[in-house]
Amino acid sequence: MSPYLLYKDISMIKKIPWWLGGVLMALLLLFTFSVLGANRPIGASTYVPYFAGIIFDLDPDKYTYLKEIHNPGSWEGVMLLGVLFGSFLNAVFVTKTFRFIIVPSAWKKYKNNSIKSRLFWSFVSGFFLIIGARLAGGCTSGHFLSGMTQTAFSSMIFGAVVMISLIVTGKLFYKDNADV
Amino acid sequence: MYDKDTSMFDRILSMFQTVQNEGHGSILLVFIIGMVFGSIIQYTKVHKFEKIAGFSMLKDTVVPKMLFLAIGLASIGLYFMIQLGWASYHVKPITLGGLIIGGTLFGISMAIFGKCPGTGPVSVAEGRVDVMVGALGGIFGGLVFTLFYDQLKVIMGPNLGKLTLNGYFENHQALSVLIFGLVLVAISIAIPLLEETDEDDIGYQN
Repeated sequence: MSPYLLYKDISMIKKIPWWLGGVLMALLLLFTFSVLGANRPIGASTYVPYFAGIIFDLDPDKYTYLKEIHNPGSWEGVMLLGVLFGSFLNAVFVTKTFRFIIVPSAWKKYKNNSIKSRLFWSFVSGFFLIIGARLAGGCTSGHFLSGMTQTAFSSMIFGAVVMISLIVTGKLFYKDNADV
Repeated sequence: MYDKDTSMFDRILSMFQTVQNEGHGSILLVFIIGMVFGSIIQYTKVHKFEKIAGFSMLKDTVVPKMLFLAIGLASIGLYFMIQLGWASYHVKPITLGGLIIGGTLFGISMAIFGKCPGTGPVSVAEGRVDVMVGALGGIFGGLVFTLFYDQLKVIMGPNLGKLTLNGYFENHQALSVLIFGLVLVAISIAIPLLEETDEDDIGYQN
């Protein structure tokens, strides 16, 4: 098969079902945990303070936290570059989902049409998302996926608290009925 | 160890060197793990506002179905890999204050942002401007956390240990992990499939 036809074949796939995603994610977790892979869990929130340290030029010798996260932050930093690179290529060449959009369609449907409102809430929730993840010591990847895979009680507590506060917020913050 | 005059470029170089010397996979391998991780998220669409905020409104259940299935399968697989010496546990400690306050903030923010730290970068790479602004907020969050770490540590509370379910059932480890994994798989199948689609994507999909 010519490379072009193979590309066309792969580029036909734009969505996979949840169960295939779950199986693939389990395989990726196991590979990353294995000695053949990285011999560590996947995490995806330590890179944020790590990059904040670089961007704001904080001296790692002065800040305990930067010293603590030097190694995991570096690992996740490289992984993040892979996420950005892979997703960008997919978005441009395969899924064709690259578009500059400010307000998500469901925000318009269940919240409002205001660009200002969406950007304000994005900034604030982005801020507290990272504060929350770092207080808990992990996020959806580090705690939920990797932590519960190890049957860790800390991750089960995190998972339960997140599920409850997520659903309560969804109930209170958004409108029940969609605007048409 | 760190030169006062180190530029941003030097620090990014040091990031790659750290990974290279650390023994948790080569730079290329870690980069590819990221690419695959991002692709699984992107193809299942679980990074979309409609999926995550949609789950908070209980109008979309792809996120919990996929999460529980992945954990259920991986927990069983990991246990046997560890028995064979192919992997080891890296458990996070219980710090009740941190988990409860942090988890609450995380859940509220995830519902409003419609992203988490692993899925946000996928949306950034797809050109979503609101997520870029949220990522900026996250960088400031990381800054504030770093600056006030010593004070925040008090809220996080004492380390109550790295406890696990299969450590608790010491004499029935395999059985407890098997039950844990199968229950999660059953939950993932039992949750009814609801989907909220992004109307901006309609017309772009074949």
